[in-house]
Formats: sequence, C-alpha cells, structure tokens
Amino acid sequence: MKFLPLILLLSMLAFFSSCEKEEPQADKNFTLTFKTTYDGVPMEKYKNFAYGDRNIQINKFNTFLSDLILVKQDGSEHRLSDIEWVDFTPDLAPNDKAVEVKFQYTVPAGDYTALKIGYGVRPDLNAKKPTDFAPEHPLYRENEYWSGWQSYIFTKVQGLYDLDGAGDPESTLTYHCGSDAVYRTSSMSANIPVTTSNGSLTVEFDVKKLFAANGGLLDLNDPLNRNTSHSASNIDLGVKVMNNFANATSVK
Amino acid sequence: MLLALVAIFLAQCKKDPSGSCGMGCDLSDIPYKTTAYTIQKPAHFPQIPVPADNPMTLEGVQLGRRLFYDPILSADSTMSCASCHLPQGSFTDNKAVSTGIDGIAGRRSSMSLLNIAYANNGLFWDGRSATLEAQALIPVEDPIEMHHTWPNLVEQLRQHPEYPALFRKAFGIDNCCGITKELTAKALAQFERILISSGTSKYDQFVLGDPDALDDMELDGKLMFFDEGQDVNLPDAQCFHCHGSITLTGNNYFNNGLDSVASLDDFIDKGRGEISRNRTDNGKFRTPTLRNIALTAPYMHDGRFPTLEAVLEHYSGNGKGVSNEDPFVRQIGFPLGGSVLTYSGLTTYQRNAIVKFLHTLTDTSFVNNPDIQNPF
Repeated sequence: MKFLPLILLLSMLAFFSSCEKEEPQADKNFTLTFKTTYDGVPMEKYKNFAYGDRNIQINKFNTFLSDLILVKQDGSEHRLSDIEWVDFTPDLAPNDKAVEVKFQYTVPAGDYTALKIGYGVRPDLNAKKPTDFAPEHPLYRENEYWSGWQSYIFTKVQGLYDLDGAGDPESTLTYHCGSDAVYRTSSMSANIPVTTSNGSLTVEFDVKKLFAANGGLLDLNDPLNRNTSHSASNIDLGVKVMNNFANATSVK
Repeated sequence: MLLALVAIFLAQCKKDPSGSCGMGCDLSDIPYKTTAYTIQKPAHFPQIPVPADNPMTLEGVQLGRRLFYDPILSADSTMSCASCHLPQGSFTDNKAVSTGIDGIAGRRSSMSLLNIAYANNGLFWDGRSATLEAQALIPVEDPIEMHHTWPNLVEQLRQHPEYPALFRKAFGIDNCCGITKELTAKALAQFERILISSGTSKYDQFVLGDPDALDDMELDGKLMFFDEGQDVNLPDAQCFHCHGSITLTGNNYFNNGLDSVASLDDFIDKGRGEISRNRTDNGKFRTPTLRNIALTAPYMHDGRFPTLEAVLEHYSGNGKGVSNEDPFVRQIGFPLGGSVLTYSGLTTYQRNAIVKFLHTLTDTSFVNNPDIQNPF
C-alpha cells in the first residue's frame, strides 16, 4: 500500500493528460467571401451560357489576388492579405457549381469604406517562385507558375465556345494571363462595418464581363481572341482580360 | 475514490476485442525516444508538406519501410506494397494493370510513388483518398489487391515477434494493443514521403545551370514540352500545362483525350467521376509525374500505351473532341489558321525530340538509393 499515493497520482495524471486540449480559436472577426457569376447567374462548369447569339461554357476559373486592403474614410488602411489564391472550380468539388471561397481575418473594429484589390501577383511577389514558399502559402502552387514566363499564371479562364453555331460549345477557350505587364489594381467602394466580433464582405466576379470589348463582347469567332495561354506572343489578349477585371468585380 | 480513478484510467484505453493485449505485451520497458527525420530533397525542389499529426521520425520511416516491403499486409502473406510499387520501376510494377493475391487483374496501372509527398490534391488515379495516411488503408482490404482485413492484420502485427517493439519506438505505444491500422498507415506514409527525386537527372543538371546537360535534340524537346520554342520555330506540345514546374505534375484531373465516347456516360472507366458521382468528371484521371517516366512503362491509367513514342503519337492527334477534354489536348502543334482553329500535331522528329527529353528526366540515383530498398 505504500505505493498507493504514487498510483493515485499517476492515475490522475494519466486521466488529465488524456483529455484533449482545445486550442484557442484565433480572433478572426472578418470574413471575405468570393463568388463568381456569369451575367449575374451563379457560374457552373459545363453549363451553356449565352454569349451574344452563341453559347459559351466556362469550365475553369481561378485567380491570384494581391494586396487585399480595407480602407477607412480617413484613408487609413488595414491590410487583410498580401496574396490569396481563389479557385472557383477545384478538381475535387462535389459538383459543377462554382464554389464560394472564404477567407477569415482579424480586423480592428471600425467603419471601412473601400476594398483595394490587386488582380494577379504583385511584381515583387511575382519575382519569386514556388520553391520560395512554404506548402501552406498561396504561391507554393507549382501548377500556377510558368517557368518559361518566370511568372505566376495570374488568372486561368478556360472553356468552350459554340463556334459552329450548332448550339453546343465545341471550340476551346484558354486564357492564362500572367507577367507583370498584366497586373492590375482597383479600389471598390462599399460600406463595410466591422465590430470586434463580426464583419463581412462579399466580392463577386462576373466572368462575362472579363470578355468585354469595345462596348460589347470580344469577338470569339476570331481565333486570336480565343487563346492566350503563354508567352508574350498574344499578350494583348491577356491585357484585355486583366483590364476587364475591375469592371467585372462587385462588392456587397 | 481510488477505484473510481482506476476505472476512469482504464477506460481511457481502447478495448481490444481480440484479446491479444494481455499481460505479455507490455512494451513500456523499451525506450521511446524518437529522432526527428529531415527528408532529403534537392535544393531546387519545393518544400515538402508534412502533416502536423504525423511528424517525420527516423523510427517511423524505418517502420514504414519495413511494412511497405512486408507481405504480411496481404491475407496470404504473398504480396506487399512493393509488389506493385518496385523501386526499379520508380515504384510502379511496369504492368498495364496490377494483379492482386487472388490472381484477379485490377482495372488500373500502379502509379509511381516518386515525389508522392507533394501530392496534395487527392491520391490514386481518381483522387479517392485525401492523404497518404488515408490512402494506405485501402489496398490492404481491397479484394483485388491484398484482400486482407485490418482487424486480422492488426492482430498479426500485435503478435509479431518484432513489430510491437518497432511501433513502440516509432509511436511510443505502451502495449501491443496500441498497434492500430491508423499507426500502421502513418508509418507507411512516413516512408512514402521520403521517396523524393535525387535532383541529379540530366534535366536537373540543366535546370541547375549546366547548358551542356541537354543535347540539341533534347533541348528541342524541352522547348516544345514547355511551349518555349516559338523563337526557333518549334510548335507547342502543351505538356507543361498538366506536367508543370519542378515535379512535373500539378496533380490535377484531366480528360486527356484518350477515348472517343458518344456521351460522358460511356467511359468504360469513369475515373474521377466514379468517386465524385459527377458526370462531367467522367474520364478524368489524376496527372502522374513525368519524372522517371522512362522507367514506368506502360502508360496511362490502364497501361494502354507500351512506349513513350505511342504516348506522343496519341497526343499528336489532338484529342477526340469529347466535351470535357482539357482544351490543351486539342491545341498541340502549330495553329493552322482559319476561323475554326485546328492544330498541326507534331512531326516524327518533334515527337522523338520530346521522347528524348523525357528520357533526361530519368533519375537512377533515386531508384538505386539504398535507403528506400527492400530491408528484408
């Protein structure tokens, strides 16, 4: 019995050490949600959408966003993130509906009046490469980097266009836009109240507006407007797409 | 009070219905002190993700290596992981489809495990497992693979003359009843995470700055592979879109134009769609790495192409026009102009140059690495 106190102590230690400790939740009080639509309708892979008098499908859409910053009326800023990757059409999604992508941040309470966005990877980060980053970092993604460009692929939009007018899209569309020359920024006004416990903003990209050109839509019957996937050889098309990003963005 | 505490303490231990965890399998006298294991990788390779709940240890890797090569994992003790994943085949079995212990041929080819630690977008050809730890649980019970059961395998491991001590050293279990399928999978995953390229292939030498590492034809192949040949009038082979950057796979899922089907419902093997139950995923499969591709014939998920030449001939045909084909499969070669843009495909020289480039990815230092060979 002389070991009874020791047994008792060990038993208690074993019991309490077996209880899982709950990690304290980080104080994330602000949710930033990204959605995508086509002409105001929730985007869906392999679904026919009207493009003028033809049909179009958008089967892949992802993008890097840099310098996400909330701005107050007095011009003071709170940086949410240097870089995020938003993939609306992940491989492992359960169905063809574009997913909502949410990020959570800690934001000081206050009334914010704008969101700044960089479309793509800002130049100092774009000078790096995936091996420079830890696995959990957005820029770790090897398949979003093209070594021949020495650039991240800022935005990928892929799909099909009904070139033959038969109804179902059959001609490929590939817009892989990258390089410092196509990096763009904008500031979107919005009322964004943030309390110590709650705040949110939804950013929506309307893919159809990425195709805007000359007051209408890019002429997808022209093969030069259907593919820009690498190199500077068709960078004009990449510039057009990236120039349209700000107008394709709405916040609410 | 004492009785209550003892009862609570004992309740923390999971009950073992098999009854093998008796007084004779106490392991607490065996020292438990793990040694952190740093995975060796080439400097120009990305950092290797390691899950927080399965940190790499020397003892875990050694246990995993032994389990990987041990046929105890199969019901009749004739087949190990290495039966389908042999080092000399860059951890494939060089068969079109693999055959399990009952002599039943599977539907798919064994995938290379080279650089599998980087696979962060699902495993198997169809992405059915999210992690290496989850993946390792499946072949043991697959009736056309090892056809074992985890309860029986765990019992064998608990009663084995050596494994209890090895699990103790790797994971600190106090008793042989601490051996579980989850710990077995963790050990296997730790071993699989060390299957990393040596970084000494001819291509790596070129990437690291030796311009003479590739001859002219290999360089032509590289330029087409990465769509960098415009200035020297070489067409785009579009390979890098799916097999990009250092590890030469993005681990994404594509329909790469193999089958001409009337509708998406008609694929014999639905691939990713079989798991997601999403019709538009039918015919899509995970992209394998092209590192050591010359050692892993035959090719594709069903081993339909015996040679790399046959693979390039397939891609040169610009797909079958099925609606969920990846668009780049239809854009191989020079654009031929016209409103309906078609592509030239690749000439014999161009295809051969790409095949020659693919051979520069061969990494014999990896397959001969003594640390990953059969320990038995």
